[in-house]
Amino acid sequence: MIADGAGEDEEKWLAAGAAAFKQNAFYMQRAIDSNNLKDALKYSAQMLSELRTSKLSPHKYYDLYMRAFDELRKLEIFFMEETRRGCSVIELYELVQHAGNILPRLYLLCTAGSVYIRTKEAPAKEILKDLVEMCRGIQHPLRGLFLRSYLAQISRDKLPDIGSEYEGDADTVTDAVEFVLLNFTEMNKLWVRMQHQGPAREKEKREKERSELRDLVGKNLHVLSQLEGVDLEMYRDTVLPRVLEQIVNCRDEIAQYYLMDCIIQVFPDEYHLQTLDILLGACPQLQPSVDIMTVLSRLMERLSSYAALNTEVLPYFLQVEAFSKLNNAIGKVIEAQEDMPILSAVTLYSSLLKFTLHVHPDRLDYADQVLGSCIKQLSGKGKIHDTRATKELVTLLSAPLEKYNDVVIALKLTNYPLVLEYLDSENKRVMATVIIRSVMNNKTIIATAEKVEALLELIKGLISDLDEPQGLEVDEDDFKEEQNSVARLIQMLYSDDPEEMFKIISVLKKHFLTGGPKRLKFTIPALVVSALKLIRRLPEEGDNPFGKEASVSATKIFQFLNQIIEALPSAPSPDLAFRLYLQCAEAANKCDEEPIAYEFFTQAYILYEEEISDSKAQVTALQLIIGTLQRMHVFGVENRDTLTHKATGYSAKLLKKPDQCRAVYACSHLFWLEDHETIQDGERVLRCLKRALKIANSAQQMTSSARGSTGSVTLFIEILNKYLYFFEKGIPQITVESVESMIQLIRNEESLTSDPSAESFFASTLRFMEFQKQKGGAIGDRYEQIKV
Amino acid sequence: MSSRRRVLLKVIILGDSGVGKTSLMNQFVNRKFSNQYKATIGADFLTKEVQIDDRIFTLQIWDTAGQERFQSLGVAFYRGADCCVLVNDVNVMKSFENLNNWREEFLIQASPSDPENFPFVLLGNKTDVDGGKSRVVSEKKAKAWCASKGNIPYFETSAKEGFNVDAAFECITKNAFKNEPEEEPYMPDTIDVARGQQQRSTGCEC
Repeated sequence: MIADGAGEDEEKWLAAGAAAFKQNAFYMQRAIDSNNLKDALKYSAQMLSELRTSKLSPHKYYDLYMRAFDELRKLEIFFMEETRRGCSVIELYELVQHAGNILPRLYLLCTAGSVYIRTKEAPAKEILKDLVEMCRGIQHPLRGLFLRSYLAQISRDKLPDIGSEYEGDADTVTDAVEFVLLNFTEMNKLWVRMQHQGPAREKEKREKERSELRDLVGKNLHVLSQLEGVDLEMYRDTVLPRVLEQIVNCRDEIAQYYLMDCIIQVFPDEYHLQTLDILLGACPQLQPSVDIMTVLSRLMERLSSYAALNTEVLPYFLQVEAFSKLNNAIGKVIEAQEDMPILSAVTLYSSLLKFTLHVHPDRLDYADQVLGSCIKQLSGKGKIHDTRATKELVTLLSAPLEKYNDVVIALKLTNYPLVLEYLDSENKRVMATVIIRSVMNNKTIIATAEKVEALLELIKGLISDLDEPQGLEVDEDDFKEEQNSVARLIQMLYSDDPEEMFKIISVLKKHFLTGGPKRLKFTIPALVVSALKLIRRLPEEGDNPFGKEASVSATKIFQFLNQIIEALPSAPSPDLAFRLYLQCAEAANKCDEEPIAYEFFTQAYILYEEEISDSKAQVTALQLIIGTLQRMHVFGVENRDTLTHKATGYSAKLLKKPDQCRAVYACSHLFWLEDHETIQDGERVLRCLKRALKIANSAQQMTSSARGSTGSVTLFIEILNKYLYFFEKGIPQITVESVESMIQLIRNEESLTSDPSAESFFASTLRFMEFQKQKGGAIGDRYEQIKV
Repeated sequence: MSSRRRVLLKVIILGDSGVGKTSLMNQFVNRKFSNQYKATIGADFLTKEVQIDDRIFTLQIWDTAGQERFQSLGVAFYRGADCCVLVNDVNVMKSFENLNNWREEFLIQASPSDPENFPFVLLGNKTDVDGGKSRVVSEKKAKAWCASKGNIPYFETSAKEGFNVDAAFECITKNAFKNEPEEEPYMPDTIDVARGQQQRSTGCEC
C-alpha cells in the first residue's frame, strides 16, 4: 500500500508501489510453488491492492498495471493446474470473490473467469456477461478503464467467434460482439467522465491524461474488427450503428474525434465504401468543435489508396456513388462551419481531389469542380498566412500532375491557374519547379502556342518579376537553378508544323522580354537555339510556294532573333549578346543571307567597341570574331573587306603586345579560305605575318629593356608555325627564304636567352618539319627545300 | 520449481504500419489471413503453445501499433520481453530503413540487462506480392543488416501464404528461451515470522 501524505513525487509513489508489489508477488509465487491456493489468493489480493492508488498518472499506472498483468498470468496458470488437480472451477470463481477490496476482487474474478471459460463448464457468453457487469463496481475512471482493459485482454482469445473452440449453440459471434460493445460503451463512459472531474484550472492536465488513455477505449474497436464473424452485414447492421450511437450520445469532443478516426483506421475500406451513408450521416451530429474535416480527409485518403491499389473495385465506388456522397457531405460540413481554419479546408479538398483522381480518372470535370469549390473557400480570405495551408495547396496542385504524368491534362483544368494564384511568390516558384519537373521527367511535348501560353501562365513565378515583393531576395544559387530549368523546358515546347512553332517561340519571346532583366541571360540563349533549330527545319526557298511571303521564313526568324538578342546588352549581358550575334551570323551564312549576316556582324562589332572593354575579354571576343569571320563565305568582296579591315584594326589595338601579335597573325587566316578561291590573297597573308613579327620584335625589346628576360621567343616560334602552315598550302608569297630567315631569327634569340619551354616548342617544330619531309610526295618536296 | 517460471515466453512484434505484424500473428496463432488492411490500436497479445523437442512453451505474442498515434500509453508492456521480432515489408524500402529506429527504441525502452545479446529476429514479410516483382529489399541486403547487428536470424515470410511463418516462430521461441536473464533472486526486505508456516499441499482450499 502506498503511504499517505508522502508528497507529490510520482516517481517515488511508483517506486514504492512497485516495491510493495514485488514483495507480495514473491510471496504469491512461493505459495504457488507449494500449491497453496489460500495463500496465493491472499498475497495476490494484497499485491493487487497497489492498483487502488489515486496517485499515479496514466503512464505510471500502466507500469504498475503491467506488473500486475504479468503476475496474474502466473496465477492463471496455477488456477488452471488446480482445476486439473480436481479443484472445482465454479468454487474457485466463488472463492476469489472473498477478497476484501473490490478492485483486487474483480481482477481475481476476471482471472478466474478466464480459467472458467477455458474449462468449458459453462457457456463463454454467460461468464463474459457476468464479468462485464461486475466491472461496473469500479466507477473511478482511471481504475475502471484499466480493469476493463484487463478484462478485454484476457477475454480476447475466448470470444465465441466463428471457428473458435468456444463457439457453440448457445454461443455465437453475436454474443461476442455484444460483450465487446458493452465493454466498449462502459469504457467510453468512464473515459468521458474524466473530462468533468476536478477543477476547471486542471482541465489541460485532465485532457492530457485522457489522451494517454484513449487507446484503451479504441482497442475495443480493434477487437471487433478482428472478429471473423463481423462480416459486412454484421458491421453495417450492428457494430457500426451501435458504435456511432455511443459516439454521438457521449457528446464529448475528444472522444468523438478519436473514435471516428479509429473506425476509419480499424475497419476495412470495403466496409467503409458500403456504409458511407451511415458514416457520413453521423458527422453532422457530432459536436461542432470536432475537427470533422481531418476525419473526412483521412477517410478519403484511405479510400483513395484503396482505389489506387485495387483498380478492380472501382465499379463499387461508382455503384455506391461515393464521389457525390463525399462531395455533399463536405459541402454540408463547410456550410455548418463558419470560421473554418484554412488549413482544414485545403486539406479536405486536397483529399477529395486525390480521391477523385483515383476513382474517376476520366472525369476531369469532377476534378475541376473540386478545384472550383476550393477556390470558393479561399476567396475572401485574402492572403494565406498559414504555411502548412500553403504547403497543402502545393500538394493539391501537384496531385493531377502525379496522377496523369502529363502537364497537358492539368492545363485542361480551368480552375487550376486560379488556385495557383493563392500561393505566395515563394510557393508559386516551388509549384513552377514541380510543373517543369513533371514535363521534363515525363518528356511531355507541349505542341501548340495556346498550350504554351497556358503553361507559362502557370509557371509565371519563374518567368516574371511582377509578383515579387520589394526587397525579397531569392538565393542566387536557387535563382540560377530555377532559370536553368526554365531554359531546359524550352526544348519540350515543340511543334512539327513550322508555323505553329514560330507562334510558340513568339509567345516565349513575349513573356521573356517582359519578365525582367535578371532572367534574360538564362532564357534568351535557349530561345535562340530553338529559333535556330527552326530555321534549319524550314524547307528550301525553292520548295516553298509562298517564297519569302510565307508567314514563316528564315528572314522572319532572323528578325526575331535580332529582337531578342538586342534586349541583352542592357540586361546587362553584352558578352552574351555578342556571342549570340556571331552565332546568328553563322546561321545566316548557311542560309546564304548576306545582308542579314552582315547586320549581325555589325551588331557584334558595335558591342565589341562599346561594351567589351576589359582586355582579357577583348582577346577572347576577338578570337571569336576572327574564328567566325573566317568561316563566312556569304560575303561579297566589299562587305568582307570592311569586316576584315575592322578585325585587323581591333587586333592591332589590343592592350598587350603579345595579344596584339597573336591576334594579328590569327587574322592571316581571314585572307585564305581553303575552299573558296575568291578568298585567297597571299599578299595580305604575308602582310599579316610580317606585321605580327614587327609587333613581336617590339615586344621583345620592351621586355628585355625592362627586365632582361624575354617571352617573345615563343611568339617568334608561333609565327614560324604560321609560316609553315601557309608554306605547306603553297602560297607563293611564303617563300623558302622567309621560312629560313624565321628559323635563323629564332636561333639568334635563343642563344641570348634560356627558356626551356620555348626551346622544346622550337625543337618540336623542327621535328615536325623533319616529319613532313619524310612524308614524301608534294609536301615532302616542299619541305625538302628548307635548310634547317 | 524454477522451471515453472520459464514456461511463459514473452515476445514483442515491432515494425512500421502495414508491414504485416498482425497478419503474421494471426497466421501463426489462428491459421487465418485477410487481405484487408486494419490498423492495430495499442498493444495486445495472443498466446500459443509451441512444442520444441519434448518441451512445451507458452508463447505470449504481443502485437503492436505501427502508427505512432495509436501508442498513447507508452511501452510498459515491453518489460520482461524475452525476444523482439522486427518486421519489414520487402516491397517498401522505408520499412526496412526504419528497422534501426525500432530496434534502438526497443533497447532504450525495454532496458534489457544484456542489450548486446538481447535476441532479435528479423522477418522480411510480403514476399508473395506481385510474384516478387515489386520487391526492393533483397535477401542479401537484409542478411547484411542482420549480420551487422550481431547475427540476427532472418526469415523471409509471407503471412498470406503461410510461408516460413512456423519456422520463424520456432526460431523465435528458441531464441526467447535461450535468453535467460540473470536476474538476481528477489528476497523480500523483512521476513515475517508469523507468516512463515507453509501450508500442506493437498488439493485446493475450497
